[in-house]
Amino acid sequence: MEAITRVSADRFDPLKLWSRLGLLLVNVGFWVLFAALADGFLSDFNLFTLLRLTSIQIVIGLAQMVVLAIGDMNLAVGAIGGVVAMFTGAMLQLVGLPLELALPLGLAFGVLAGVANGVLIVLTRINSFIITLATAGIFTGLMLILTKANSYSALPFSLVSFSGRQVFGLAMISPYVPIMLAVALALFFLYRSTRLGREMLAVGANRRAAAMSGVRVSRIVIVAHGLSGGLAAVAGLMTVGLLGTAAPVIGNDWLLTSFVAPVVGGTLLSGGIVSVWGTVLGGILVGTITNGLFLLGVSSFWLNTFFGLVLLAAVWLDRLGRVAAGTETS
Amino acid sequence: MIGRIVRSLSVAAVGLLAVDVLGILVLVSTTPSFASTFNLFVLLRDIAVTLLIALAQMVVLAIGQMNLSVGAIGGLVTVIMGWLMAQGGVPVAPAIVLALLLGAATGAVNGSLVLWTKLNSFILTLATGFVFLGMNQGLTKGIPFYRLPEGFAHFGQARAGLFPYLAIVTLVLTVALAVFFRWLVPGRQMLAVGGNRRAAELSGLPVGRVVMGAHVLSGLLAGTAAILLTAQLGEAEPTVGQTWLLPSFAGPIIGGAALTGGTAPIFGTFLGVVLISLIDDGLILRDANPFWIQFLVGALILGAVIVGRVQLRGLRAGEALRRLRSGTSPTVGEAGAPR
Repeated sequence: MEAITRVSADRFDPLKLWSRLGLLLVNVGFWVLFAALADGFLSDFNLFTLLRLTSIQIVIGLAQMVVLAIGDMNLAVGAIGGVVAMFTGAMLQLVGLPLELALPLGLAFGVLAGVANGVLIVLTRINSFIITLATAGIFTGLMLILTKANSYSALPFSLVSFSGRQVFGLAMISPYVPIMLAVALALFFLYRSTRLGREMLAVGANRRAAAMSGVRVSRIVIVAHGLSGGLAAVAGLMTVGLLGTAAPVIGNDWLLTSFVAPVVGGTLLSGGIVSVWGTVLGGILVGTITNGLFLLGVSSFWLNTFFGLVLLAAVWLDRLGRVAAGTETS
Repeated sequence: MIGRIVRSLSVAAVGLLAVDVLGILVLVSTTPSFASTFNLFVLLRDIAVTLLIALAQMVVLAIGQMNLSVGAIGGLVTVIMGWLMAQGGVPVAPAIVLALLLGAATGAVNGSLVLWTKLNSFILTLATGFVFLGMNQGLTKGIPFYRLPEGFAHFGQARAGLFPYLAIVTLVLTVALAVFFRWLVPGRQMLAVGGNRRAAELSGLPVGRVVMGAHVLSGLLAGTAAILLTAQLGEAEPTVGQTWLLPSFAGPIIGGAALTGGTAPIFGTFLGVVLISLIDDGLILRDANPFWIQFLVGALILGAVIVGRVQLRGLRAGEALRRLRSGTSPTVGEAGAPR
């Protein structure tokens, strides 16, 4: 079980602690900057919108993070989110199921799609990049064929109004924030305190060593992809609530952004090292910068450039930090 | 090793060729409009552009890396060339040269950042892709350049019978690439670096220059695809490239490229692109639901890699046995490799 102890030791690495605090400090720095410079940044309305949207982005990032943990990728996060959104919309509008039934069904559908990815990866032993690239096309294609790209807008009011409520008596906190935090907390305990979580990290760190230590790698791969599908489904349902309609475009633009929050937060593409709170902070940083630049009047057309530069700076600094700490070769 | 790869690829290529021929026969017999000169011209023009996009991805796959910014490079080259021609009054020939230089420069940015930061090419080109896309959108505000020189737009429509003039560019480049990877030293070096980077380094190959070369080539090919597409559309659209990611990977992967590097299946990539374009064309001619294309491309990728894996399993079975006996099972990278 050497791989497992090594991986869990990584999580208490002082450098990682520092890099996490570093990200927190960068976040605080930008908040102070925008609070001082951008009119209306701290207004209840702006914070409410910012945190609501960011919560969804973070859940999308977490859906990617759980497969990065085992050294895989899921290029179908957006496809699953979109399929689940449309499936749930159809269940609500066409079948007339109540919310209490339709939402869990939607989640189960997402998990199932993820499990299908995992099973295909395990059975064919083909790279997850290719499998999920293919299934992304298959999922989205099937969904568009079946729905003919129509939206479902006749959704229960309680779902549509949910994201606009305020919780904890605070005008800037949407119910999406506690949902996101609950998901993050659950994942944090998964990786920190459960055997399953540590086995996932072991598989990511060194698949062969994990297999030889008695970890059932195939099962772990399937579970991780199922979890990713479930989280993509949560993000899909949150988006339906936000838009007030189940639209076939949901998930279209998740693919590339899903990598940003986890990678900025210090999750490695090679697997074995994840940072749940890093992903949360990474998501908040990206959301904050996007929102702040918009308020400062930077043309929204330039946002992608800043987005890319921030991503580049974050991953590069992260790597320099690791090299300095000797956990990675130069 | 190389002999084995060549053998397994040619098997895949023969299968793919059979599927392509079958597809053409089905379309000819079921859809009368398919064999019309104009439709074949449209089909060939589509293949000409898509093949360059796929090759732009294939050359970086050859060294075991990826370029997620192919689409963003295409978009940026499109709008800069459009601006030069429509606003800058630059004549067609210098505008094209500048556009190609820009494509090469974006590739050089990717290559030097990959070498300098030593970051994973996936993440790095993801980031530069956002930068290039943002520059495109920031410069154009999403507005196309419509007034391109007539001769240039005319070239996009010009044909000899069913043969589009655009396809000459693709044909020349494809043959050149085939020669490059088959016989020229830099091409062989790329495959060597992709096959085993450490071994290539130890053998004294200039790995840095090879990586740089592959990224510059990728940028050039993406830029060329953008130029051809702009000529075809007759205007410089800022949205060019936004849908390139899937076809850029689908072509080489269906054609037998390994994500782990060391392969450059140019003929296979061509056959893969032909298959995708045939499906696209067939769906349009049959007035079918256009959304089938995503589903079918996904299914094709899956089918192609599974067939390839089954073939390879047979080829590798002997070696796997030997490895088991000597106590070294395949490493994770190999187990996860596409074929």
